[in-house]
Amino acid sequence: MISNQIEQIISRNTLLWLLITNVAIISPLYDKLTLWTGGICAICFIWRIGIYFGRVSKPPRYLVTLLAVSAAGTLALVTSSIGALSALVNLLILGYALKYIECTNRRDVRAIVLVGYFLIALTFIYNQSIWNTIHLLVICGINTCVLVSLYQEKVTLKSTYKLAFTMVAQSLPLALVLFLVLPRLPPLWLVPDMKSAVTGLSDTLNFGDIGRLSRSDKLAFRATFDEDVPTNAELYWRALILDTYDGSTWDRNQIIKDIEKNAFVMQPDRGNPVGKTINYTVIAEPTHQNWLYGLDQAFSQTDDIYNLPDYRIYSLRAVDQKVQYRVKSAPNQAMDKSLHPRIKEINLSLPDDSNPKAKLFAQDMREKYPSPVDRLSAFMRYFRDNPFYYTLEPPRVGPQQIDDFLFTNKAGYCAHYASSLVFIARASGIPARMVTGYQGGEYNPKAGYVSVYQYMAHAWVEVWLKGQGWIRLDPTGMIAPERVNEGFDAIFEGEESYLRDSIFSGLQLKQFPLLNELRLTLSSIDYYWSVWVLGFDNDKQEQVLQDLIGKVDSSKLIALMLVSLSLVGIAISYSVGLFHFPSRQEPINRLYVRILNALAKKGIHKPQGIGPNDFVEQVYKLAPDLAPDFERFTQNYIALKYQNLPSTAAQKCWHVYRKQASKLRTAIFRLRSVDSDKSNT
Amino acid sequence: MVKANNTKKRKRLWLNTQFRARWLKWMDKRLPANRHIQLSHRSIFILPSKFGVVWFGLVILLYLFGTNYQNNLVIGLSILLASILHTCIIYSYRNLAGLKLQSMPAAQVYAGDTLSFPSHLSSEKGANEVLLSYPFAQGEVDQSIAPQVKQAPVKVLVSYPSTPRGRVNPGRLKIESYYPLGLCRAWSYVDLATELIVYPTPVESKIALNAQQSNNQQENHHGRQVAGIDEYQGLKEYVKGESLKQVAWKQLAQGKGMLTKEFQQPLGAPIWLTLDSSQSRNYETKISELTWQVEKLHQSNQLFGLKIDNITIEPSHGEGHRHACLEALSLLPKFDGGTPS
Repeated sequence: MISNQIEQIISRNTLLWLLITNVAIISPLYDKLTLWTGGICAICFIWRIGIYFGRVSKPPRYLVTLLAVSAAGTLALVTSSIGALSALVNLLILGYALKYIECTNRRDVRAIVLVGYFLIALTFIYNQSIWNTIHLLVICGINTCVLVSLYQEKVTLKSTYKLAFTMVAQSLPLALVLFLVLPRLPPLWLVPDMKSAVTGLSDTLNFGDIGRLSRSDKLAFRATFDEDVPTNAELYWRALILDTYDGSTWDRNQIIKDIEKNAFVMQPDRGNPVGKTINYTVIAEPTHQNWLYGLDQAFSQTDDIYNLPDYRIYSLRAVDQKVQYRVKSAPNQAMDKSLHPRIKEINLSLPDDSNPKAKLFAQDMREKYPSPVDRLSAFMRYFRDNPFYYTLEPPRVGPQQIDDFLFTNKAGYCAHYASSLVFIARASGIPARMVTGYQGGEYNPKAGYVSVYQYMAHAWVEVWLKGQGWIRLDPTGMIAPERVNEGFDAIFEGEESYLRDSIFSGLQLKQFPLLNELRLTLSSIDYYWSVWVLGFDNDKQEQVLQDLIGKVDSSKLIALMLVSLSLVGIAISYSVGLFHFPSRQEPINRLYVRILNALAKKGIHKPQGIGPNDFVEQVYKLAPDLAPDFERFTQNYIALKYQNLPSTAAQKCWHVYRKQASKLRTAIFRLRSVDSDKSNT
Repeated sequence: MVKANNTKKRKRLWLNTQFRARWLKWMDKRLPANRHIQLSHRSIFILPSKFGVVWFGLVILLYLFGTNYQNNLVIGLSILLASILHTCIIYSYRNLAGLKLQSMPAAQVYAGDTLSFPSHLSSEKGANEVLLSYPFAQGEVDQSIAPQVKQAPVKVLVSYPSTPRGRVNPGRLKIESYYPLGLCRAWSYVDLATELIVYPTPVESKIALNAQQSNNQQENHHGRQVAGIDEYQGLKEYVKGESLKQVAWKQLAQGKGMLTKEFQQPLGAPIWLTLDSSQSRNYETKISELTWQVEKLHQSNQLFGLKIDNITIEPSHGEGHRHACLEALSLLPKFDGGTPS
């Protein structure tokens, strides 16, 4: 039986590291904390500081219990509103803080460290940028410091963090290999979604919605094309189709909503597109929504993506973190050559009592242009020929939104133009619907991808024509063709509302070439990070492994793992000084002994128990020609062996010593034999 | 419930002893006893500690967590933690590798006292938080901690529970370390050939009782020594008026000051302490009493001999004699009951 009193020892160093690590781990999660959790964390932290400086003692048990119970209680109440994942984060942080204030022995400290690692992992769920990763890696090191400090006594903070960070750094290579080799599994069970505020496009559209997005420079997604990048005017990224209008809000119809809801269990009714396709990969930023982006008739075979009948693609799980998917688009293939009567009805219906003027206008046009194609071009001309203009800050509209826009204000942005066109098209008997998504993209020539930002959000129209299916029409293009052809930046140069919310945004740097270059480089780094780290999946794994070891099979993988395991192990062992390589001492002696042996052959013996310097004197007597050289050699020998020379000096001395040795050897070789009796006197 | 527990415990204990016997045999071959031992790969064992197992659990948990959220960074973190475990193995080994241990003579103790065995630890590379204990001791023992071991030897006392009189071999010394992260336990069992003779517990008694009958007139003196001329005893400070004949001139010449040579001579016949095991009742008590008597006589610097059954130690005095007598007493065969059969 061994009593473990060592378990009770927590050094002051550890207490300090606990303070540091507490702040380091909780601070990146600050926006996930509920008020209660934050408050309790603060109390615990301040109390801990008090304990550290010896002002207060450990809090009484009942106080900790009270705090824990009340905090858990409030947390249980708000779980439904903050979501299960947030609740888990809060619960862990609470446990972390309360355990922290209570910790009295090493086991507690170790538990705190483990929970700390878990909290770091949770932080990764929320933010996966490269900078955040580096930041969290440092926090990982700090957390490791706590453990190191447990087993070190009487050391400085510096030596602790040096050891901890060295260990983390030395563990990285093996981690990298394992990251490459270990299998990537599909999700094993359903996990609670993050309940975060959705970003990006909303799933309904009001007048004014896209204006809000126009002021955000946040990245929406990136796309890499296998072949040439289509022109800006071709980049209509469809995300949502809004075909139900109640007089103020555009929404998806119930049929498609049901399909989306049941997408988990439904068989897709859409096959691989045929004919010429554009193939590309999209890395979508988190939106906490399900819809994805694709050009025209989009089709994806990536796991967990459902191909909706309206030619959009839909993610089965909410996009809570960056997702990467492959898309095949067929721009030239007709969408819905024949229209289901139910769908047709939806795409023709309008609220009865809304916008009478617009309805009248549509009826007029119908009479004037009986052919739908002619009628549509007349509508488009109407926008061009009348004094409409494009602005992100349109005047207010009344309850008859479209009437006001079409005939009074004549000022607005894509959403206004698109909804008006859909309205009048429907009123004149042409099935039409609104499409929202993004238009355009910024091409990064360095990494060869297109970035689409939130301010590129756009709304346009699709009309159904017999024999042609759904056709894209963009009324905004009639008013501000630059918007479509050259991208959003072209028309808003200098306009106040453009990126008004982000004065310091990187995109403001576009005017300065050098800084813009830097911005693009950073953006490329982020892109490669997304593709190669965040998006590292089974395909990429296979690709990389194939490049590394040729055809992948399990025996090769095991061999690779074993080899890297031992290589890394050897490298670490070497770095911590486990291998004793023969020191320079050995060769020094060897050379000296070799010279002595050579001398002995010529009859000059070094008697036992006589120092090297004394022997030099003997040599002077017996072989005066050789002696000066031998003396210098001996001096170097003594210097190398007994003087603690600095490494550079030792290096130099060693070189000279070696040269002298070879010179001496030839000299001795030429030497006439000396009578051995004489040498012993 | 308690009973069931006990049988379980006993069974486990039996298995343990079986296993231990085999294991110790293997250890004796692999790591033979020596007063100097330097730990190397032959003698260091490493396995994950309990915390290491929990740590690995966290690695798995994070891997599943990352898989379910399809988050490569969480998976990466779990792999990094696994890799740290691997790094830790090397560091744990390094902490003990090259550690030199040397057993030192232990202090003399009586039965019933806690023993402590000192040893010197040193390490060229330096070792942190080395724990030492005697795991095969019966009863609770404390772990001794050497917080930092460097080139200069540090003395560490490892305690051992009190034992009855006799020769004590504490068994293998366990050297343990959880440095640097507590994930791995590196340990070794070394036999430093430590041995100690634990003297019987002294019990106060009358001295004369067992003394051999003697008709000498000066019986009362019982081998007491008085200042005399026969036997050189030692040196003491010179006091004015003492005979100059006894001044240690040699020491004076060496500059050690004026000292006087002391001589003693025994007064009366030496005392014989005896014990007849076949006749004595309360055998152990007798032994304890004899121990006390030996100590007492030694303190008063008297001549005494020891005679137990067929062991005879001729009368003498001094530290060496005391040890010889106490050793003889300690090593007397033990009897279970009060009376020897």
